[in-house]
Amino acid sequence: MSRGRWVAVLLVCLAVSLVMVAYPIYVIRPYRAQGARELMAALAVSRFGPVLTVILALAAVAAAIAYWRTQAPVRRRMLIAASAMLVCVLAVLARVNVYEDLMFHPVEHPEFAAATKAKLDPDDKLIVVKIGGSARAYPIREMGYHHIVNDVVGGTALAATY
Amino acid sequence: MRDVDGRRLTFHLAGINNQNFLMRDEETGSYWQQISGLAISGPLKGRQLTLVLSDELTFAAWKAEEPHGTVLKEVSKYASEYEAKDWDVRMGRGAAVIQFPEHGMQSRDLILGIQTAGASRAFLYDRVVKEKLVASYVGAEPVLIIVGPDGQSVRAFRDRIPGVDGVPDFYRMTANQPGVVLSSALMMDAATGGEWNFQGCATSGKTKGACLERVPMLKDYWFDWRNYNPQTTIWGNRTR
Repeated sequence: MSRGRWVAVLLVCLAVSLVMVAYPIYVIRPYRAQGARELMAALAVSRFGPVLTVILALAAVAAAIAYWRTQAPVRRRMLIAASAMLVCVLAVLARVNVYEDLMFHPVEHPEFAAATKAKLDPDDKLIVVKIGGSARAYPIREMGYHHIVNDVVGGTALAATY
Repeated sequence: MRDVDGRRLTFHLAGINNQNFLMRDEETGSYWQQISGLAISGPLKGRQLTLVLSDELTFAAWKAEEPHGTVLKEVSKYASEYEAKDWDVRMGRGAAVIQFPEHGMQSRDLILGIQTAGASRAFLYDRVVKEKLVASYVGAEPVLIIVGPDGQSVRAFRDRIPGVDGVPDFYRMTANQPGVVLSSALMMDAATGGEWNFQGCATSGKTKGACLERVPMLKDYWFDWRNYNPQTTIWGNRTR
């Protein structure tokens, strides 16, 4: 293949990877209305992006190596190598969910206190459930921050959400 | 519930859809809508989580009912960032990205939403709290909404007394005031003269010990409820 074709391969990998990282962030962002179709597309990109961007990164690196072996000027070869590295970085970024990894902090290992020992005000509001004789409460001050708690109450696995 | 087809799912907050958040389960990578419990993308698309009946109560009300219950502890490293206790009211001042300006409703009006087979209804929260006892219908289903002695906690019931024909008339007995204990009778039904408490159980009369059937109810903002319940009716629509 000619040098131009290796460059073309790399640019396609770079462009597609950029779209796969940026599109879900653009669509699924707070304070923006999400249309049904664009949301489905963004979620599909989120699901398949981690695998596809790795494939694109491998293709980009292969193209950069092939280009490097040609007798192109060093500056151009460096530029091509940097572009391939950028595609690799995008493959890593495609694995980052802004909501899961950056914006919100899950309760990894929920712990519980007896109602009689809980340090809450009488007017603190709680989401409460009772299953199989077991009563559990999730303070809204905490749920408004974590939003989801994966729990098991009275033998029933549930996700408390707020 | 988070067991689906014998598989236990672990959910994470993974996105937002018109200000109702999306959950992702780490086992299959499927995305689920919070308000509906419906998987909207991924291998489990179309599957529905089973709703667990829950209440939104004040700590005082809940502790009185469940002295042996347990409460989620703070995660100490995040505790300083936790929300104010009136988080839902504060959020109500924020902008909404979708609008349903019907019946004078504002996007961030707090409502209590009830769904029955084929019907849904939004009850304005502040009107319910003011009325303290609301008897209404959601579709063909008679429902009774009761405000607790703390003046903030609210529960919904099917408005039928077991073993008694017809829709009963309930009357509020006590004013909401501090010191009224939760086991106290809050209302009386005209059919039997029995007294009923905030748990929806008769504490006196012919039906003593009987309990009304609980009805799931969701406290939500109007725009979110209306988005997922396009045919909803409204109780307590205000004049602005």
